Amino acid sequence: MRRLTLTLLAAWPLLAFASEPSIDPETGLATWQTETQGIQVRLTQISPDQARAFYQARGFSPEAAERYARECVFMTVVRNVGGVPIQHNLANWRYVSSGQPPRAIRSKVAWEHLWKRQGVAESARIAFTWAQLPATQTFAPGDWNQGMTAYSVPHGAAFDLRFVWRAGGRFHSGILEQVKCAHEDS
Amino acid sequence: MRIRNRVIGAALAACCLICAAQAADLPPLSHSLTLQAPRPAPALKLKDLDGRLHDLAQLKGKVVLINFWATWCPPCRREMPSMERLAQAFKDKPFVVLAVDVGEDPDTIEAFNSELDTVPTFPILLDTRSHVMRAWKVAGLPTTFLVDKQGRIVATAIGGREFDHPAMVQAVRELLRK
Repeated sequence: MRRLTLTLLAAWPLLAFASEPSIDPETGLATWQTETQGIQVRLTQISPDQARAFYQARGFSPEAAERYARECVFMTVVRNVGGVPIQHNLANWRYVSSGQPPRAIRSKVAWEHLWKRQGVAESARIAFTWAQLPATQTFAPGDWNQGMTAYSVPHGAAFDLRFVWRAGGRFHSGILEQVKCAHEDS
Repeated sequence: MRIRNRVIGAALAACCLICAAQAADLPPLSHSLTLQAPRPAPALKLKDLDGRLHDLAQLKGKVVLINFWATWCPPCRREMPSMERLAQAFKDKPFVVLAVDVGEDPDTIEAFNSELDTVPTFPILLDTRSHVMRAWKVAGLPTTFLVDKQGRIVATAIGGREFDHPAMVQAVRELLRK
């Protein structure tokens, strides 16, 4: 895995996709999308208020919902737009914000431990689990999924996201550059 | 208090948070089914919103479309009307749609149904603790399985679909002929 990570990090500059986000005229929230080698990845900002409200409506205490809302949250879509199956594994994704080394996305298992410590009810934890982007999944051509991903980056700050997938027996990666977290008041 | 007020203010938007993603252009619904080598379907025995028990094992001889979903899942919400249209298109055939809601209570589902232009006529089953979903190895919502008359999974679809797209209708029709 370390070798894979190093190899993909070395290729980082070659595969970067800096794109202008599209802005929703009603909410002002931004979407970044890229498509390469049979995969489409799309991140749409979720505002802290939306995150709080979503989880409180599903049984989270205000404190637990606030913990999640402190993260930089995106609705994330992964879609197979190619002709062969692709496998994604969130554990291989990395994000880099200013002055920080590449970091992995906190796993659903890690969140589950946190919610249990905070006394979040089982039904709320189930909702949380299924609302996140699946940790691993195989997509046949035409398949897609969406779910939340959360990054430990301050609201309003930017980061680069390296997404990794496997197709045809090989690992591939791409980058979304300068993705920005929603502002606290967005 | 400030946070609480803001949460209340955002509650409407959060009903479909994901309405964040519903913004200007939604991720398009697909219309493909992935055919698979037939394999026995896991057990599925759940109660519906009215407390009636449904058992997949009792549906041999019928083609069954099983859709795992939840009301908070945007593509699940979007594909529901087309699933109803598909059910209506084959209402006189040995074809059954079962929508398995994961982790929610009947009140939440009823509230969602009341927002639809057409209330689903197919059963909505309750997998409250997501045990069935795990048995079916569903990794994310929505996920749909097509089960043939012998009770075997023959096709899957991950992600939202336009179920009454001609390609999907044709796939069901071919399965009904077998």
